[in-house]
Amino acid sequence: MDTCLQPSISRRSLLASTAALFATNTTTARARTVTQMLPWEPGTATPPVPVRPGPWMFFMADEAALVEAAVDRLIPPDDRGPGGKDAGCAVFIDRQLAGPYGRGDGLYMKPPFMRGAATQGYQMPDSPAARYRTGLRALADYVKAKFPGSSFPELPADDQDKVLAGLESGSIALKNVSGAQFFALLLQNTQEGFFSDPVYGGNRDMVGWKLVGFPGTRYDYRDWVERHNEPYPLPPVSIMGRSDWTVRE
Amino acid sequence: MARKLPPKDVVIIGLGWTGSILAYELTKAGLDVVAIERGPWRDTASEFPPAYAQDELRYAIRLDLFLRPEQDTLTFRNNKGQTALPMRNFVSFLPGNGVGGAGVHWNGQTWRFLPTDFRLRSHLEERYGKNFLPNDMIIQDWPLSYDELEP
Repeated sequence: MDTCLQPSISRRSLLASTAALFATNTTTARARTVTQMLPWEPGTATPPVPVRPGPWMFFMADEAALVEAAVDRLIPPDDRGPGGKDAGCAVFIDRQLAGPYGRGDGLYMKPPFMRGAATQGYQMPDSPAARYRTGLRALADYVKAKFPGSSFPELPADDQDKVLAGLESGSIALKNVSGAQFFALLLQNTQEGFFSDPVYGGNRDMVGWKLVGFPGTRYDYRDWVERHNEPYPLPPVSIMGRSDWTVRE
Repeated sequence: MARKLPPKDVVIIGLGWTGSILAYELTKAGLDVVAIERGPWRDTASEFPPAYAQDELRYAIRLDLFLRPEQDTLTFRNNKGQTALPMRNFVSFLPGNGVGGAGVHWNGQTWRFLPTDFRLRSHLEERYGKNFLPNDMIIQDWPLSYDELEP
């Protein structure tokens, strides 16, 4: 270990005896004892793994077409820039659902499962991925029954908006699924996809950040702290950098 | 199975800001101190380095550094007519997890006091009248003024 990484004397005395306990259940516990020095090791950082272009990882083809059509109505393309589809919101949601978020990692997923008040949040046992699977199926079935011969992506934009608005308000009842809760989940994930770092597959070419003038993951703004009422001139930057920073062969 | 650990002068439960300061002072005074913490060791270089600490999705939305409800949660209800149900994700408050406690993700803002903040009871009574503050509101003036503290 590099000498500069050795803890100072005061840190050493503070850490003279620090134990970290991990309670795994009521009868066993794993404890790690940290004493004398900081347990720093190189190579333990966990930067985000960039989403790669390619086939859908969670969605079936018809699910993906529905989600792409829906996110393009939630954030429609206009003269200020691309909409949800071209911004990659469906790709973002697909990759999120294929990973820990989709599995519901970290959430409390044990019984009792009973409907509560709105303030008590989603109380059913389904992971986000399962909610998409059943929600998209129920939505496709609704459209098929209401507009015979058409699927959601084939509907005119006005009808798509009516369906989405009906889900949001609760005036459209889906089979075995709360349309309003599914709409809220889809809207939340669409917004995340539009404004999250492009490393996750959405916000393509930082279109969301350019739209609102957000400079991205820049490291340091100290030069600008005292410069009031001046537009910040530098373009946004992602965790991965910028394409024009990449050396071309 | 219970395991008996060596005796210590002081055991600190939770090594957040308060626990860390206590541990520092007590070890400096020569006491043998052990601090017990839930969750992992936290290290700036490994877990929230400047290269991606600004990642809002990971830290502010997916709550990467916080206690996960699957580790420990609580039930709540808004009134006696409801059935208390588990919090399946945290929203209204965010408990910390790991060494450093909630201090690891603290992002509060500590504004400098205004002169009126030091004499808040007097200020409010002058401005809104003697009867403005309810009887059970125990708000008081500080024994120091802004001018006394101003260097």
